[in-house]
Amino acid sequence: MAQVMIPTPLRAFTGGQKTVTVAGTTVDDALSALTAAYPDLKRHLFNDQGKLRNFVNVYLGENDIRYLRQGATTIRDNDMLSIVPSIAGGAGSDRKVDHSALRTNQAFIISLLVLAFIADVKALVAFVSAVMLLGTAFPNLGLFKAVYLYILKPLKLVRPDVRVDNPEPHLFAQAVGGVFLLAATFSFVAKVTVLGWALSWIVVALAALNLFAGICVGCLMYYWLNRLGVPGFRHARIQQNRA
Amino acid sequence: MSIKLSEEHMAAIVRHGEAAYPFEGCGMLLGRQEDGHKVVVRVLPVANTREPEAKHNRYLISPEAVLTAEQQASREGLDIVGFFHSHPDHPERPSDFDREHAWPWYSYLITSVHKGQAVKTAAWTLSDDRGAFSAEELVQTA
Repeated sequence: MAQVMIPTPLRAFTGGQKTVTVAGTTVDDALSALTAAYPDLKRHLFNDQGKLRNFVNVYLGENDIRYLRQGATTIRDNDMLSIVPSIAGGAGSDRKVDHSALRTNQAFIISLLVLAFIADVKALVAFVSAVMLLGTAFPNLGLFKAVYLYILKPLKLVRPDVRVDNPEPHLFAQAVGGVFLLAATFSFVAKVTVLGWALSWIVVALAALNLFAGICVGCLMYYWLNRLGVPGFRHARIQQNRA
Repeated sequence: MSIKLSEEHMAAIVRHGEAAYPFEGCGMLLGRQEDGHKVVVRVLPVANTREPEAKHNRYLISPEAVLTAEQQASREGLDIVGFFHSHPDHPERPSDFDREHAWPWYSYLITSVHKGQAVKTAAWTLSDDRGAFSAEELVQTA
């Protein structure tokens, strides 16, 4: 029989007991016996896959079982197991943008528009416009981003580049591009072909500026509108001063 | 439940958040339970052990630090009653990341620090089903 020390926040789930005596010959056995006796403890100790949560640490005496034989670590009578929290958190999980997804998007836009020009396929401009506008309205339906998420990233052809950033300005930039291409499409329909291609090339130029120089003109517009206090543009640029 | 702390404790928390800027500062609150309320007796700033690239929006207090503090607290008849950390250039609201990593019962104090100046501190506790954080009353005594 080993003893398990219960940290203060979990004592509410063990009827207030500081230590619980459990049977078992390994750490896994002891923890199973513990959660069998106190089922409410389970979701605080284990994740949905049944593994110990990252920030839940189990110590046998003074030693972290991760550095022993983990769950298979054998325990003897009168051994003391302690559940010790590590404390983690922080801002910004909701303020992250994978810049690799953005760059894949830009590369597709540039390639398809240049291809449309060379092969004189105006419908392709309309298609890119539709993809961009749909991807703005419903970010999960962004076709080029999906290529990145489901093909390029899993195959490790493009590495993720997650940065602390606001996603909204990038969506706004995409919307501006999409609107330009929509105007281009209307120009083609109205037989003002030169204007149609001019608008398309502006989008190519801005996407290229973003892809190759990291300058997002649409984002600059977004932050400028934010400073002017225009409703709907509520995110200011995230300051990333480093010490 | 509510958490009570003195002006001096609050000042220590605020100073630590400002000093850590642009990184997140963090620490522990030692205290005791009185009539179902948590009363802070000591504020213990600790090192943010996250790697430098992540420190501006993440904090981590190692289990060794928690274990040491627990043992120290226990000798003095105290408990760890909560933790504090700062959100540089972010509101004093818990993020989803905070919630995923939180423990029930503990008080989590978050101080928003804007451009190096502390703006506001709020206290939060995790619901028992881990679903949400709710605001906890923060009582400041003289």
